[in-house]
Amino acid sequence: MLGALVMLTCLAVPAAAQQGVILSGAELARVIPTGFYFQGQSAPTQMRNSAAARFGTSRYVLAGLVDTSGYAADVRARYEGFLITDSAITINGSDLETGAYGFGFSNDGKLNILNLAGNQILTVSTMKDASLKRPRPLVMIRSGNETRLYNGRDYAVIAVR
Amino acid sequence: MMKLERWSKVQSPESNVRLRRQTAGFRRWPLSYRFLVLLVLLFSVEGLLRVMAQDPQKKPESQQQGMGVSTGSAITYSTRRTVGVTDPKAPTIFEDVTSKTALSTFKNRSGTPEKNYIFETASGGVAIFDYDSDGLPDIYLLNGSTVAAMAGKEKAPRSALYRNLGNWKFEDVTEKAGVANERWGFGVSIGDYDNDGWPDMYVSNFGVSRLYHNNRNSTFTDVAEKLGVARKGWSTGATFGDYDVDGRLDLFVPGYVEIDFKNLPPSPAAMGKPAGRTGLIDGGQNVCQFRGVAVLCGPRGLPGESDTLFHQKPDGTFEDLSTKAGVNDPQKYYGFTSAFVHADDDKLLDLIVVNDSTPNQLYINKGNGTFEDVGYPSGVGLNENGREQAGMGLAVGDYDRDGRLDFHITNFSDDSNVLYHNDGDGNFTDVTLQAGLGELTIPFLGWGTSFLDFDNDAWLDLFVVNGHVYPAADSYQWGTSYAQQALLFRNLKTGRFERVGAPPGTALANAWTGRGLAVGDLDGDGRLDLVINNLDSNPVVLRNVATPTGHWLALRLVGDVAKKSPKDAVGAIAYLTSSGIRQRADVVSGAVYSSQNDLTLHFGIGAATKVDKLEIQWPDGSMESFDIPAVDKTFTVVQGKGGK
Repeated sequence: MLGALVMLTCLAVPAAAQQGVILSGAELARVIPTGFYFQGQSAPTQMRNSAAARFGTSRYVLAGLVDTSGYAADVRARYEGFLITDSAITINGSDLETGAYGFGFSNDGKLNILNLAGNQILTVSTMKDASLKRPRPLVMIRSGNETRLYNGRDYAVIAVR
Repeated sequence: MMKLERWSKVQSPESNVRLRRQTAGFRRWPLSYRFLVLLVLLFSVEGLLRVMAQDPQKKPESQQQGMGVSTGSAITYSTRRTVGVTDPKAPTIFEDVTSKTALSTFKNRSGTPEKNYIFETASGGVAIFDYDSDGLPDIYLLNGSTVAAMAGKEKAPRSALYRNLGNWKFEDVTEKAGVANERWGFGVSIGDYDNDGWPDMYVSNFGVSRLYHNNRNSTFTDVAEKLGVARKGWSTGATFGDYDVDGRLDLFVPGYVEIDFKNLPPSPAAMGKPAGRTGLIDGGQNVCQFRGVAVLCGPRGLPGESDTLFHQKPDGTFEDLSTKAGVNDPQKYYGFTSAFVHADDDKLLDLIVVNDSTPNQLYINKGNGTFEDVGYPSGVGLNENGREQAGMGLAVGDYDRDGRLDFHITNFSDDSNVLYHNDGDGNFTDVTLQAGLGELTIPFLGWGTSFLDFDNDAWLDLFVVNGHVYPAADSYQWGTSYAQQALLFRNLKTGRFERVGAPPGTALANAWTGRGLAVGDLDGDGRLDLVINNLDSNPVVLRNVATPTGHWLALRLVGDVAKKSPKDAVGAIAYLTSSGIRQRADVVSGAVYSSQNDLTLHFGIGAATKVDKLEIQWPDGSMESFDIPAVDKTFTVVQGKGGK
């Protein structure tokens, strides 16, 4: 009986780990950096447009828009904010390793992930949520078993590996 | 048929360099190859230009992050769409009568023409109000200033008060009235804060703001320091309102950007030179840019200012209760325009703050001296796609006659203005596209906006003044311009609006660097006139000459202080029924863009020749009905003197 319970628990952990808990309030403020380094300079985080999810007990994925006014136009065209993950994740099923990245949602329905030097390392197609009642510039929302990163009505699904 | 003025193409310096590099290799190709490639390119470019000449069919929704402002996608255009759009068949609605008035000698001056800093771009407001209570609405025009004047090195530009003498004659009474301000003026709002029956004036400055008390003898005295409302910093469009229903007007003043003259933001004039707070890298990488061109910085990247709520105490002085009331704006959003309004119609004044490049705030009055910001959940904080916009001006009115107040907010170029329909229960829906106000407004950078029934057909129309903040707009293919035409939209009575064409050579065909706007019936003919304050330029006085127009009614409301209604009735709502149609008009201080419409309420009633019912909800929440014996007249309606 005990063995079965242990086995069930072991099986349950990976499943639970997939289910992100969206952080808010003080919990969110505790993990979101106030600024982010990317391609030669740091920019302040728009704290109102930041989001984080905890996977399992201590794995986090953070995202936030930054004030990119100090960057050149070509950088601003691609770079909107940061994505920090302390474990390997998937975005819409594509792998992303532990690390800190820049990102930008594009007009043509893509989420581009950039390394800190500004090189594009991953591009995924985003989905559009026409039914979203009050879209925001950047939020994470749990929908069913999914943890979604939204930019307006566009979103990508984040899961830990 | 609207006529679009063709606009000559101008290459940016960046593209010129790129072009030279790319054509170097091309010149080494054989002549026949070059000819073939050129032929193909010619057809491709021609096709591309055709596509570009057609406006995009949808709102640009990708956020242009970090341009200094929050706006939509940058698209290259082959035409400017903000000047030269005329329609020979359109009726003339407004006649520019400025040159016939004393206002033609007024000139707004705001920093340098180059606009190297953000504080040079947003002055100034205008108010229409009857300061001498002679029944004729007067005009107050705010002026800007210069850095040298702020440092006491040159004479400061003067604001001006013009007394309406009737028959389109105005007299400059600034000197006598003592309201020259001579500070960097941004906003003006009207409220009779001391309930003496004479309108007072709050002037929001970049520097120290003023409260001009009306001395009832055609002079004013600045009592801001004495009464505790001399807000410092960069104050913008303020609003009076009695949020706690004690019969005394309170005052809300938004803050915009924190500027330190000793440490100014990078200037486009300093491109390539080491200077400024962030230190410019050679080549100007840290100079702020718009579409790759060096421009003034801000508001994003600059520290914002909190907002201030001044509560009036029984002794007539004010106390700062911003934090206690929950409207202090700790996030320091870039506030531009505010208004105490009845958003949820619970008889308590709520508060809307339009912010530049940050979310708008809608504060619902909880009735206990505090407010709750419902900007996000109400839908007013962002546009329909969840994007922060560069909010400038605010129109407040019930455009669809459903009995609830709707909002129209103006925004930056490459973005549309937004119409928020009030669905009730504190919910608003962005109906811009459905209303026909989306695509057309995208190239314009909007400022003052107001609902007005210009043809008295009993439906609120919409007016918007425009003008860019970057002079470079005239030099690049941005599809916009520095000076821009104003926009008049006719209410089609179906929830949609259409642009009223501008006959060539008439007022609406002209382009201005518009900022402030005020609406009022300056000649008492029952047609609403306009005054526009233009940046670095002369103001414009627009006489409404629309024909034919419907019947009308104007109401001056007087509250009963003993019943805890402010005497000027700010916060009152008039419901007027004629021919079975019920309309609503609110007495609102502020809004527009840092400006003040005449507090006299105006109703167009179309073909109706009598008023069936007039109900007033006074600021204290009580309802009262009045008999109105005639139309096409102005009536003074006093609380407690009604029939029922």
